[in-house]
Amino acid sequence: MSALARFDDLLGRAVSMRALALLRVLAGLVVLLHLQPFLADAADGQTYRDAFYEPYAAWYPELPEAVYIGLLWLAAAAAVAMALGLLTRVATATTFAIVAYNVFLSTTHFHNNRAYLIIVLGLLTLAPCGRELSLDSWIRRRRGRPALDTSAPAWPLWLLRFECAAIYGASGLSKLVDPDWFGGTVTWQRVVRAREDLEAWPLPDWAISVLTDSGFHVGAAKVIVFTELFIALGLWWRGTRYAAVWVAVVFHVTIETSAAVQVFSLLGIAVLVVWAVPSTRDRVLRIDPTSARHRRWGTAVGALDWLARFRVEPASPGSRLELTDRDGTVLRGAPAVAFALSRLPVTAWFALPALLLPPVRRARRAGRAMMPAPMATDER
Amino acid sequence: MVVVAVVGLQIGFAARGYWADHKEFAFHMFPESSTWSAEIVRVTADGHRVPIEQQWSGYRWDELVQDRGLSSPSIRHHADAGLDNQLAFLGAALDWVAENTPRDAETRYLEATVTSWHNDDPPEVEVMRSGEREGAG
Repeated sequence: MSALARFDDLLGRAVSMRALALLRVLAGLVVLLHLQPFLADAADGQTYRDAFYEPYAAWYPELPEAVYIGLLWLAAAAAVAMALGLLTRVATATTFAIVAYNVFLSTTHFHNNRAYLIIVLGLLTLAPCGRELSLDSWIRRRRGRPALDTSAPAWPLWLLRFECAAIYGASGLSKLVDPDWFGGTVTWQRVVRAREDLEAWPLPDWAISVLTDSGFHVGAAKVIVFTELFIALGLWWRGTRYAAVWVAVVFHVTIETSAAVQVFSLLGIAVLVVWAVPSTRDRVLRIDPTSARHRRWGTAVGALDWLARFRVEPASPGSRLELTDRDGTVLRGAPAVAFALSRLPVTAWFALPALLLPPVRRARRAGRAMMPAPMATDER
Repeated sequence: MVVVAVVGLQIGFAARGYWADHKEFAFHMFPESSTWSAEIVRVTADGHRVPIEQQWSGYRWDELVQDRGLSSPSIRHHADAGLDNQLAFLGAALDWVAENTPRDAETRYLEATVTSWHNDDPPEVEVMRSGEREGAG
């Protein structure tokens, strides 16, 4: 098979849309945060037209004020419907259309986080991501109709992955080729000018002295640039993906605490779910139903397993908690718990470092040795 | 087809960010530590130069221009998305104010004397003007 045919096959292969369904829920909430300042202004009787704005093109349609404000509220309602998965396709398309329309009304509306939001909404509009984690699917079940197939061609997922990586890559590359950035001048100047803010933080004098030292930034700038590039590239390979996701979360939290970036941090972290392997229920957590502790773990995993990665099954009474990974690796006890938590969206960031602990590593090696036969390890 | 189009567009936008004032979809984040400030005046038909810090004809600059760090131009600000981007916004704001203050019958144009510091380079000074207003004086 030629490379082009393999690529085409990869894009067309049916995969689980679970990650996109979860992203749809999270993106709906992010849209509400994005719209909040526009709606707050509208509630005060203000719109973009009451102050300086700059249309991208003279032909771009501008609506009467009342209609424009109504459209913003419609976008908010559509975002709620999108998050809930009610008339999902229509709600997502409506949200995308109005958010994009609003941003393109003026050059002053455009920010990187809004550009990213438009991209995410556009790609979610193209993907059938309302067949699970949605009121649509719940209503369908209530009416006794068969569930729709939750898998679909993978290309929207691959595009989202590309865009996710491109954002870190474009940012990192632009800094790498800029001598002022890579040499540390930009960060040093920013920190020096914000020294008053820095001194308001509970930092010791020596820390402030280090942070405002130009020599420190010669190294720090390179760490920032290579962090962005590591995230952009590391997400693509199985061996580095979890590390890249972990670093990306730290990166976003750091940015959020040090700069005003609107919804960028929340959106950036939410989109990371698209890097989950697009298959579901291919890991098994076996619990002893007679053990209250096991039952609690089963309930917790069931409640937090938003990416549907686990089946929770009963084991024989008295047995240890056991987890079978998709490649057949078997873990028991604490290593199984650590591994399970590392695969749940909310706990992954905290639990992933635990996988580096020697006892967990030994358990995983031993678990692999117990695999009965070669098993599929599809880690797209 | 959609995949090729999206990938191509994204790469194109990222490349365009290296020369465009407004870097839509280029994702060049925190590009500079550059700063700027501007003394903006209204030049009236009789040649007077009136700072925009003074209200005129019921208008206030900080009510007319509220976004992109332009509401208090005389204070030295960080150019969030780079100096070229910031000055492009300032130029557009001068034009917008000139065109959207109909009660003002005396201003011919607005003029900004901009001092900018690209990263840690020495300051540069340039003068920007709005378009001429019709019917002033």
